[in-house]
Amino acid sequence: MTAEALVEATGLERRYRLGRIDVPALRGVDFRLERGESVVVAGPSGSGKSTLLNLLGCLDEPDAGRVSFEGRDLSRATAAEKTRLRRRRLGFVFQSFHLIPVLSALENVDYPLLIDGVSRPIRRARAEAALAAVGLADRLGHRPDQLSGGERQRVAIARALVHDPVLVFADEPTANLDSRTGGAVVELLSKLNTERGVSFVLATHDPAIMERAARIVRLADGRIADDTTR
Amino acid sequence: MLALIALRNLARNRRRTALALLVVAAGAASLLLTAGFVRHSFNGLGEAFIRGGLGHLEVIPASRLSAEDGPDRVGPPAFSDWAEARRSIEAMPHVLGASGAIVLHGLVGKDERSLPFIGAGLEPDRERRMGLQVRVRGGRLLSEAPAAEGEDEALLGLGLARQLGAREGELVTLTALASDGTLNALDVRVVGLVTTGVQDLDSRFLRVQLLTAQRLLATEAVTSIIVMLDATDETRPAAAEIARQLQAHEPRVAVADWEARAPFYGQVRRLYAGIFGFLGTIVLVLVTLSSSNTLLMTVMERVREIGALLAIGTSGGQVVRMIVFEAAWLGLLGGVLGGAIGVAAMSAIHALGIQTPPPPGAVEPMELRLEILPADLLWVSVVMVLVLALAALLPALRVLRLRIAEALVHL
Repeated sequence: MTAEALVEATGLERRYRLGRIDVPALRGVDFRLERGESVVVAGPSGSGKSTLLNLLGCLDEPDAGRVSFEGRDLSRATAAEKTRLRRRRLGFVFQSFHLIPVLSALENVDYPLLIDGVSRPIRRARAEAALAAVGLADRLGHRPDQLSGGERQRVAIARALVHDPVLVFADEPTANLDSRTGGAVVELLSKLNTERGVSFVLATHDPAIMERAARIVRLADGRIADDTTR
Repeated sequence: MLALIALRNLARNRRRTALALLVVAAGAASLLLTAGFVRHSFNGLGEAFIRGGLGHLEVIPASRLSAEDGPDRVGPPAFSDWAEARRSIEAMPHVLGASGAIVLHGLVGKDERSLPFIGAGLEPDRERRMGLQVRVRGGRLLSEAPAAEGEDEALLGLGLARQLGAREGELVTLTALASDGTLNALDVRVVGLVTTGVQDLDSRFLRVQLLTAQRLLATEAVTSIIVMLDATDETRPAAAEIARQLQAHEPRVAVADWEARAPFYGQVRRLYAGIFGFLGTIVLVLVTLSSSNTLLMTVMERVREIGALLAIGTSGGQVVRMIVFEAAWLGLLGGVLGGAIGVAAMSAIHALGIQTPPPPGAVEPMELRLEILPADLLWVSVVMVLVLALAALLPALRVLRLRIAEALVHL
């Protein structure tokens, strides 16, 4: 008997409407991720990487197939349950950082705990620790527009990790960064995976990330073309 | 924190926020100025009725007061033994004065001409103490000393005097039904021409001493006792106190306040309340639509950001709350700014001393005055917060319909 997967998808399909044409983004994808495991989802633009991440991360609904998280079928979960799942068990890092521009770095990282009703002293302590873990202990009061691209992405990573999620989705986390900064971010994600046992699903076509990946799932035309574990 | 984020969001596009604030402030200021104008008009109209002869209260034999029609003053005076009642009323707190009063209906004649009048007989000394005087436009007021027989005096309304061809110093003849049902006539000298400020009233107005009215009607009774208070706000407590003190009086008396005796005031008030309520509603609708549009723009500009907030676990309700907070801040700040603009505009209007044409039926122009109370600033701000919260509904509904994955890549 196999152990319970952290997240498992079977027969995932997703189509988008482009004018009068149905454009298939995913055409029956099966995917499984164990607890503590990390995977890089690679493939050219339009191959369905972001769509897969959106479906696995409860940001979108599949047209067919199902996703289960820790053994629970998410097609039966309510919108509120999915919101709670994203808030407590999942973390997200976006290509464009998506920080709240009117909040400082500390307040941005504090935010996921705030919406979960955590008390202010605990929030502040955990947010400061998360920012220290990504090397931004001296940037607490800076707003996003006062930070460099790499610093913003590190704030976004701290925000994704502050509530101790079991799984973090990172969609092209280095796409908007130069190679040196991108390398530092990859290093950081790898360290967090090793030290904290957090699972990562990274969508990318950055060779630097793929080189370090233990498992790469390659998508082509909405299908898994290759699933390699090294 | 959500409220703080909402407040900081307002600072993101300062020009648009400033414009939105101006719209809300203009709406708030309009409401304040309208409310101030209406209040001053209502208070002015009410005081005009009170000072014009109604007094704050009227004590009248209970048999002459109908719940539906108010006091019946047409019949012969029936309030006997009234002097003692007047003395006890005058001893009460907040009572400026009380005067026996007779309402007169009859004809006033000069030479070959007779015209109907609606008159009143009051005690001139008390009338002055109570501030019931009319505005003299020629001659003088009635003497305070009781008129000796054959020396009776009268004040005529300007319109009545003009139609009658009577001038001050001339004799006119009053004819009325005496208490015993016979027709009685009395010569009186016109000592002054006056105006009540109301054109229709001036063409029927006649005022004589109470003693003169009693002579004309051959009675010692009065129709009622008119009571003037030191403040209109004291009307209800004073009415209750007078009713309590005079409960043993014979004949049994009732107390009617000025509003019950001025149905015209109630009609005008309802009419104006309807008109200004309608205008106020239009102002609020315009503010709501304009603010809703502004809020929708700010939401649509932040679709990606809102998508990210939803992605990291913010509930739709929390995002909606953030938008409503943003709207409420606009309402509050706009309401406060509108309050300041309204008060400044009121001061400017008062300083300019703007005259408005006479209102319908009136004969003299009015100075434009407004009466804005501190409580108005509070309710206008509260109304603006509620209106803006309402304006946030459309953008909020838009947010609730967002699909996170699409919002994250929204252009």
